[in-house]
Amino acid sequence: MSLLAPPPQVRFEAVSYRYPQQAEPTLQGVDWRVEEGEFVVVAGPSGSGKSTLLRCLNGLVPHFSGGRFGGTALVAGRDTRRNGPRSLSRLVGFVFQDPEAQLVTSRVEDELAFGMEQLGVAPLTMRKRVEEVLDLLGIAALRGRDVATLSGGERQRVAVAAALSLQPSILALDEPTSQLDPWGAEDVLSALTRLNEDLGLTVVLAEHRLERVVAHADRLRFLPAGNGAAVEGRPRETLAAMDVALTPPLIRLARRIGWQPLPLTIKEGRACVRLDPRHPASPPTDRLSPVGRPVVVVQDVTVGYGSRAVLEHLNLDAGPGELVALMGRNGSGKTTVLRSVMGLHRPKTGVITACGRDLSRVDTAELARDVGYVPQQPGTLLFAETLREELAFTLKHHGGRGKDLETVLALLGLADAAERHPRDLSGGERERAALAAVLVGAPRVLLLDEPTRGMDAARKAALGTILHDLCAEGATVLMATHDVELVAAVATRVVLLGDGRVVADGSPREVLSGSLTFATQINKLYGGQWLTVEDVVTGLERGND
Amino acid sequence: MSGHGRTDLDARAWLLWGVAASLPPLLGRNPFVLTATLLAVLGVRAAMAPSDAEGALAWNGIVRLAAVFASVGTLFNVLTAHLGDRPFASVPDSLPIIGGPLTLNALVYGLLSGSALLTLVLVGTTLGAALDWPALARLLPARLSTVAVAGAVAWAFIPQTVVALREIREAQAARGYRARGGRDLVPLLVPLLAGGLERAVTLAEALESRGFSSSSDQQDWTSAGPPWRAVLAALGLAGTLLGAYLLAAETPIAALTTIGFSAVALAVAGADKRNPRRRTRYRHTHWRQRDSVVAGTAIIVVAAVVITLAADPRAIRYDPYPSLIPPRVNLGLLAALTLLLSPVLVAPVRPSGSPSAKTSRSVQRVPLP
Repeated sequence: MSLLAPPPQVRFEAVSYRYPQQAEPTLQGVDWRVEEGEFVVVAGPSGSGKSTLLRCLNGLVPHFSGGRFGGTALVAGRDTRRNGPRSLSRLVGFVFQDPEAQLVTSRVEDELAFGMEQLGVAPLTMRKRVEEVLDLLGIAALRGRDVATLSGGERQRVAVAAALSLQPSILALDEPTSQLDPWGAEDVLSALTRLNEDLGLTVVLAEHRLERVVAHADRLRFLPAGNGAAVEGRPRETLAAMDVALTPPLIRLARRIGWQPLPLTIKEGRACVRLDPRHPASPPTDRLSPVGRPVVVVQDVTVGYGSRAVLEHLNLDAGPGELVALMGRNGSGKTTVLRSVMGLHRPKTGVITACGRDLSRVDTAELARDVGYVPQQPGTLLFAETLREELAFTLKHHGGRGKDLETVLALLGLADAAERHPRDLSGGERERAALAAVLVGAPRVLLLDEPTRGMDAARKAALGTILHDLCAEGATVLMATHDVELVAAVATRVVLLGDGRVVADGSPREVLSGSLTFATQINKLYGGQWLTVEDVVTGLERGND
Repeated sequence: MSGHGRTDLDARAWLLWGVAASLPPLLGRNPFVLTATLLAVLGVRAAMAPSDAEGALAWNGIVRLAAVFASVGTLFNVLTAHLGDRPFASVPDSLPIIGGPLTLNALVYGLLSGSALLTLVLVGTTLGAALDWPALARLLPARLSTVAVAGAVAWAFIPQTVVALREIREAQAARGYRARGGRDLVPLLVPLLAGGLERAVTLAEALESRGFSSSSDQQDWTSAGPPWRAVLAALGLAGTLLGAYLLAAETPIAALTTIGFSAVALAVAGADKRNPRRRTRYRHTHWRQRDSVVAGTAIIVVAAVVITLAADPRAIRYDPYPSLIPPRVNLGLLAALTLLLSPVLVAPVRPSGSPSAKTSRSVQRVPLP
């Protein structure tokens, strides 16, 4: 028996990489090791190089993307410069961010077999492996389903299963939960944890939602923006060293009030609360919704596709200065409410008015002077040659009335991107570009559909500030989202939808407190009406007074 | 991807049905034949294509677009073809192109051409919704598997593109953008093309990462083996295109002969046994009685159309110029065309989203040891 340690699954030595037509390298002098059976999480702000690092693992960088690659990257002993993604596909399973775009066949079972068919795996072996991965990921019930009918979480689990069917040594996942609702994300992450703990599969995961994974990770690698030195170590060590704005609320609180060691789970956090002699005073009261005549009124509205009703006799209103968060599971009607208020759906029954105008008598393009809408796919909004021209178009359509173009760009951190083509922007920049293109028109009503998808914590905080300021100026914001932390931080009202009806309508503290599915991390920790880190910190300060 | 395969019919049977349903509108303008074909295709479409899924809505969009083209085409024909013996109005000669008599002959020809176009689009969209494209791709020779998957992916982009176009139009209306003329289409097309390209790149990355086309030889089918195979493959593809042109030019015998030779050339070019690709197949499809019924009826329809074309061409072809004469009726051919409804009669439809019945019935599984 050899006492020698097995070689690392991943060994990067001085790896550098620059994309074609980019002046600055995305990776520079990266040294990295991943041992067999480790669960490594890669975190960092948007644009820090997480995806690029993962793409080096299976050779997509540089074989698919081109560019200049330096240094040595050995994956399972193979040099990725000599082995492209096709030959590495047996060793590295790769799961992409978008559950829509990565499935290549129409049926779940075919999807699982696709890679094996390409690699010429014997039919008997294929059959056995398909059965195994179906059970491993808990998707046996989906085997005959058409992939078009699956939810986002189900699709991502199918993608993971398809990658696993090739029996790779390493599973690399590039923000696989960023497009999913909390339940779908939980399903995927639970499956990954099980695969790592039960089967010893090496998992490398790029992820923004650290709160769900840090407890299971062996190591956390934090990539700062702008090619700074990476921080890597046990999750507690890295979380203590990384930018606090990018950490989960539990860690932010622990670092603010000095809990040691840092709790990684709610259970550990509760133990800290019990042992901490300090107790916060009573939680702050609700932010009061400004009173005023409603700007948006949805009255007894039914909307449907064919014979299927999506909204049923829905009543909802929102006044000036209100930030109304629309929450609920996928399919509950959140997006349809926004689209109806934008005039993109004609109700079968009922009346919708916005800014005093009956939407049945106004066309959408005319309504756009007062109502701004940022859909889930913000790229669809952008069509001009440069970002500056995008904003200029909005101003022209508003007859020159609106906000200062340069101020809006600066507010959204896009001042340097003004002359770039919107399609050349990164995913996160494009989201902000779409928001800028709408905000510059100073809409009286702003409709946002899942604005934080794929956004890191710092960007979310910045968005929260922008929305807060917008409401302070008297605008009305309706935001469909699953992001309870953002809602707790900025919403003045929460409307919970279920099957096209309003299930609950109240202040964030009324609706989110004690909820089984919509509670914030802090609420799970302290219960009562505590929602945010600021609530507790302020409460502790008042308690000390 | 598309190719939902909502029926339990073999892909080959569907393909034969598609060929049979496409022949009449490709070969002639006889209104009785066109109407019978259109009604049969509509019947199959109503029974087979889902009406509520997003993919189906996308296909419906394509049908609507075809209807618009057919209507515009009819109007264009009336305004520009000043031929025929039945004038019903007149446009002053001083107006270029449209000046002259407007004739019923041109209106009839325009309507018939429009309905032929609509029928062909309906055949395509019905196949798009009902056909199991991955199953079809598996039926091709292993050497053509790369082309087959690429083709299936490209086909899937059609409904996705229609959905994307709708989203872009809505999003831009929400920004206050109104498309008024041809130049205003640029803002619609730029995000459409860019989005399509991004989707294509992501899909290509996913395919590469999962070993697509990574069999041992690592070669494309056209480059494998001696050079004469590549030449033969190129000739086969060129011959197929020529055959399609001859069909459109109403020379069916020459067209079918050319297509037949092209198919043989492609088969020979693809059958290189010395260096076979090692791609394997998960499913082995099982041909059943209902597949035989649909394939058999499709072959009868093709035979009836070809025989009628040889024996009684006016029963399929119709030309309203220069005189608007009544079209010929061939009851035998019309009866044969009703056989196009066979998929409705023999193939049960699965509700959208239900598990595939093929898993348990039509697919012969490889037994575990």
